[in-house]
Amino acid sequence: MAINYNAKDEVDGGHGSNLVVGSHTGPGNAIGGSGPKSRRPDNTAFKQQRLPAWQPILTAGTVLPAFFIVGLIFIPIGIGVFVTSNNIREFEIDYTGTDEKDPCNKCLFWNDTKPCICEINFTLEQPFEGYVFMYYGLSNFYQNHRRYVKSRDDSQLNGDTDSLKNPSKECEPYRKDGDKPIAPCGAIANSMFNDTLELFQMNESSLIRVPLHKKGIAWWTDKNVKFRNPPGGNLSEVFKGTTKPLNWPKPVYELDEDPENNGFINEDFIVWMRTAALPTFRKLYRLIEKKGVLHPTLPVGQYLLRITYNYPVHTFDGRKRMILSTISWMGGKNPFLGIAYITVGSICFLLGVVLLVIHHKYGNRNNSADIPN
Amino acid sequence: KEPPPGAEAYIPQKYPDNRIVSSKYTFWNFIPKNLFEQFRRIANFYFLIIFLVQLIIDTPTSPVTSGLPLFFVIAVTAIKQGYEDWLRHKADNAMNQCPVHFIQHGKLVRKQSRNLRVGDVVMVNDGETFPCDLIFLSSSREDGTCYVTTASLDGESSHKTYYAVQETKGFQTEEEIDNLHATVECEQPQPDLYKFVGRIHVYQERNEPVVRSLGSENLLLRGASLKNTEKIFGVAIYTGMETKMALNYQSKSQKRSVVEKSMNVFLVVYLCILISKALINTILKYVWQSDPFRDEPWFNQKTESERQRNLFLKAFTDFLAFMVLFNYIIPVSMYVTVEMQKFLGSYFLTWDEDMFDEETGEGPLVNTSDLNEELGQVEYIFTDKTGTLTENNMEFIECCIEGNVYVPHVICNGQILPNSGGIDMIDSSPGVSGKEREELFFRALCLCHTVQVKDDVLVDGQKKSPDSSRSCIYISSSPDEVALVEGIQRLGFTYLRLKDNHMEILNRDNDIERYELLDTLSFDSVRRRMSVIVKSASGDIYLFCKGADSAIFPRVSEGKIDQVRSRVERNAVEGLRTLCVAYKKCTQEEYDEIHELLHSAKVALQEREKKLAEAYDQIETNLILLGATAVEDRLQKAGIKVWVLTGDKMETATTLFKVLSKDEDLAFIFYVSCRLSNDLQDFGLIIDGAALSLIMKPRQTGSSGNYRELFLEICRNCSAVLCCRMAPLQKAQIVKLIKLSKEHPITLAIGDGANDVSMILEAHVGIGIIGKEGRQAARNSDYAIPKFKHLKKMILVHGHFYYIRISELVQYFFYKNVCFIFPQFLYQFFCGFSQQPLYDTAYLTLYNISFTSLPILMYSLMEQHVTSDMLKRDPSLYRDIAKNALLRWRVFLYWTFLGVFDALVFFFGAYLMLENTTVTINGQVFGNWTFGTLVFTVLVFTVTLKLALDTHYWTWINHFVIWGSLIFYIIFSLLWGGIIWPFLSYQRMYFVFIQMLSSGPAWLGIILLIIVSLLPDILKKVLCRQLWPTATERTQVKITFLLYNYWFYCWNQKMRRAGSHR
Repeated sequence: MAINYNAKDEVDGGHGSNLVVGSHTGPGNAIGGSGPKSRRPDNTAFKQQRLPAWQPILTAGTVLPAFFIVGLIFIPIGIGVFVTSNNIREFEIDYTGTDEKDPCNKCLFWNDTKPCICEINFTLEQPFEGYVFMYYGLSNFYQNHRRYVKSRDDSQLNGDTDSLKNPSKECEPYRKDGDKPIAPCGAIANSMFNDTLELFQMNESSLIRVPLHKKGIAWWTDKNVKFRNPPGGNLSEVFKGTTKPLNWPKPVYELDEDPENNGFINEDFIVWMRTAALPTFRKLYRLIEKKGVLHPTLPVGQYLLRITYNYPVHTFDGRKRMILSTISWMGGKNPFLGIAYITVGSICFLLGVVLLVIHHKYGNRNNSADIPN
Repeated sequence: KEPPPGAEAYIPQKYPDNRIVSSKYTFWNFIPKNLFEQFRRIANFYFLIIFLVQLIIDTPTSPVTSGLPLFFVIAVTAIKQGYEDWLRHKADNAMNQCPVHFIQHGKLVRKQSRNLRVGDVVMVNDGETFPCDLIFLSSSREDGTCYVTTASLDGESSHKTYYAVQETKGFQTEEEIDNLHATVECEQPQPDLYKFVGRIHVYQERNEPVVRSLGSENLLLRGASLKNTEKIFGVAIYTGMETKMALNYQSKSQKRSVVEKSMNVFLVVYLCILISKALINTILKYVWQSDPFRDEPWFNQKTESERQRNLFLKAFTDFLAFMVLFNYIIPVSMYVTVEMQKFLGSYFLTWDEDMFDEETGEGPLVNTSDLNEELGQVEYIFTDKTGTLTENNMEFIECCIEGNVYVPHVICNGQILPNSGGIDMIDSSPGVSGKEREELFFRALCLCHTVQVKDDVLVDGQKKSPDSSRSCIYISSSPDEVALVEGIQRLGFTYLRLKDNHMEILNRDNDIERYELLDTLSFDSVRRRMSVIVKSASGDIYLFCKGADSAIFPRVSEGKIDQVRSRVERNAVEGLRTLCVAYKKCTQEEYDEIHELLHSAKVALQEREKKLAEAYDQIETNLILLGATAVEDRLQKAGIKVWVLTGDKMETATTLFKVLSKDEDLAFIFYVSCRLSNDLQDFGLIIDGAALSLIMKPRQTGSSGNYRELFLEICRNCSAVLCCRMAPLQKAQIVKLIKLSKEHPITLAIGDGANDVSMILEAHVGIGIIGKEGRQAARNSDYAIPKFKHLKKMILVHGHFYYIRISELVQYFFYKNVCFIFPQFLYQFFCGFSQQPLYDTAYLTLYNISFTSLPILMYSLMEQHVTSDMLKRDPSLYRDIAKNALLRWRVFLYWTFLGVFDALVFFFGAYLMLENTTVTINGQVFGNWTFGTLVFTVLVFTVTLKLALDTHYWTWINHFVIWGSLIFYIIFSLLWGGIIWPFLSYQRMYFVFIQMLSSGPAWLGIILLIIVSLLPDILKKVLCRQLWPTATERTQVKITFLLYNYWFYCWNQKMRRAGSHR
């Protein structure tokens, strides 16, 4: 028998009795049984719940203007964004080569030691002005798979020597090759995109190489802070005792000749290491600088894309694309934002009208009928 | 003591010592027992499981995210419960160590109470409390009696007489007592206070042992105290936990509020959602993975151990991992916030100045904050004092005399006149004749009623001065009458009492006027009026008649009928109860005639009823209309029914029940006892304890439930029920009866005596009055208030606030976690069902703890959708939240669907914005963490702004926490991504937030998505308010309108003054 019996009652009250203690004792705290001292509460606005307060109510009358304002602001923004987005030139070419007629079809089952090179011709119907950005796009590639996303060691990439020699467990099964630690370890690094894309402008008879810049494609902070080579002079010295990722043809310190773009701070590598949010994604590959005010960066005409085809995607039904795009203040081509703004703006405006009607039809009934004088 | 050899077989029995144990834990078992108790709560157990799963298997989020909050909750609760138990230990010790006198070897010894054993002889002095159950041996009084008060046991404060055992009553000294040789046989301990069977064998030197039977008149109970007797001796027979008192006070079952119950139901729903989400994802994962190149593409290989794991084990771990990923949908923090809200919120009750009593220096006490919101759900009030009605319920609003309206100190022309004790005329002041009429009106109201006065003189033992006559307690079966008599008291005429058939009233000049009550033409439902015929001191005979307007107007020949009628009609529209008053002056001859008429009707043997009615009809004609009264029934307007359960006997009731007690036919009881009270439509029921026990008693024939249900049915249709002469247990029975009836209404019991404890414990909410007669009620109650009159504010204002606050808290918490977790669920469809979290760990952990916690906590402490004055003035607002209105399924589904809609907007908005494109000016691309951060930013802003939309009472604190939380989120994100954190193994968030903000479309997108998410809710709010406004919403509009008018008025005044200065 469970008894909750309060002996205290008998002691201070002189009346024997019972008690009970709930799970939870409030501030009054009856258990303590305080004496007769006055507990007059303070007369403060807070304690008496009389703090001055603004008491807005959402009525049709107050919300109406807000709807109209939102509508009036959103529609022009939407139109602006939509027009901007439409003015962006974008060209996309799929070079996976699954189709028989595709020039790159031969590379799907390539058995030679020499890399497979395929070339694709295309025509730009409109001139590309200003900076032009070259992307590669992959589809059905789950860079956001959990096992994949966590398979990296950020300390190693930050130049930590301990992690270089003893990479994080998260990199398994790409942590060690035999006894030697892999640098950079993990699935992400191991599967780095390694096709080489080159662009040529076809001029009557000759091919003019379009200069592609490989710097400035990664976030500045990534390149300068987050990714760092281990301390030491010569990169090959520094990476001694480690081995290259299994799928890489060359070790990490031979990614580029330029010491500013080699090792962990190679920008292609950094771009790859930023895992994409969705299975269809694009990553920045190269920049094409503008030639001047008068000449479009990429004039109308015939072009040739030369691909050194290394990266296998057909095994998982993937696609590879090359994208050329100009850029505005709002980035690449994306009609969604403009359309969404226009739609929401119009809906708001429409709702405003509907509310106005309702307000006029029913408003008087509610607001005045109840109010005496 | 042991019987001498040769007596009957005696089996030694183990008796407990006299120790009282109320504590739950000891030092040693505290930790295991407390942990066990805590994890018995289903929520805690669930969180423990989640935590263990995170520890054991490879899950997407770290165990810290759920372990830390859980540890915090458990630790805080354990500390609190440990402290409470420590207090109980202290109280137990004080109790067990208090000294007791008892006899040992002929000497008086002082010992601690806990050392008392069965068979010890104890001495108790005047005023002391008995330390255990004693057989009364002898007393200092000659006749072997003693007086005892058992107020703390059963609430009866009168002194009762107990009798010593015949053989021992002569023993006066310790030695004599010590020489006594006797055995006591008694029944096993049992809780019935009034039953005891035993016998005593007294062994005398040479004679045969004397056997005496013992009954309850020989048993002194623990807890009772000795009065008016110098000292007594007694032998202990039941000690410690076997005393009748200890057996009587069962543990209070923990009360749960309706809100908590709904919350638990919602939790189960969400648990189902969680499990089905995890299940769906697990199944889809294995469907999706059936392609080997998806399960393990070349770029994303598994480790050897992963590959070799059993398929079912893998599937199960996957299921658990999904559970962990989505477990935030039922957050620990909700429990913490709810507990904090209840605990902190209850301070506002104790701080309330209006509920502080100057006389006693006491404010309200909150003994449990679990039931705060239940105060806003009360449907039935059980009280043992009529005072509850008059102080909280009925209020005399106005009277109309000859077309002039009188209002007892109220708002008049917008100005409040608080101190005017008299009346304020709204219209022009009456002439001299009007003055006469006015006084006559008041006298009529003072005389024409069946109110009884419960005289305080008897209770307090001292005569009250006439001016303190306010403390008279009026009792009537009809609260209206009480309200009227009290209202008239405020207007200067006090009804004192009915003495020797003379009604005494105290008039404005403090003179006592005596009227001889000649006849009462009692109220009935057909006539809908009552009359009295009185003879004043000067010999004038008056007939005063009071009744419904339709019953009075046709019989009136004189008076300003039209004015009064219009006023009555207006009052009726406003929901006030109105009564009209008329009079007629008779000469002695006329009266003799009337008397004759009545008498002949009364003595008629046949058709007495009919003849009486005819006589009444004849008498009540040619009246002169005086005026009308209006009474407001506040609690009824709020949808609350009030029942009076009292131990007092009432003349009105007893006269009725004299008839009843002879008649065993219960159906007839109902017929008779269910009489109409003076209201227009509403029935009132009076029933007494004896009749009630007949109803409650199961019939021998077997069909026990019938009367109960019938009784319940009748009671439910009565607006007022009065049960008198109730035993404490019967009060609890009534409460239970209502509590368990079909609709499961929420009951509230209020009382001030120990005899109300059972009812207080039984009701959903028990309220005790901190009174003079002990604190039993206050201690056992959930809330204690100093005065009955505080109940109104407690229910109408505090209860209302607590309810709307907590219901919003509960709904909002579920909503914000749907918004939070649903995008993660959607993301699984785009990341190969790999349990990849959408948000960073820091965001996952802090979302509920810091980004969105304070605004809702503050909302749930501060929100006032209508001001407290308005709530008090318009009790009908209480109906808006009746029957758990804000936590109904419809509302719950609305919130859930809103959450799902918002989540869809966040996720697919971000998806469409970032899919396969770039949104930066330098062409660089964003990764998955930016995607998550974008969703999260929209999420935090939306849910916070949604709360801002719901907030109707914006104090600086609300502004501070709402905008502060958003700013904190931004600052935190900037910092979190601003540096390489050395203690973290990953730097995934580095500069993610800042990069996102550097992109124009991200800003545009955030704004767009927030607005789209909020749009449906705004629309719903506006449309509902416009088309189907609730009473609360109408009031809000009204207040704003009045405020606006006031400002306009002030502004006008100012302008005028400025103009005149110039």
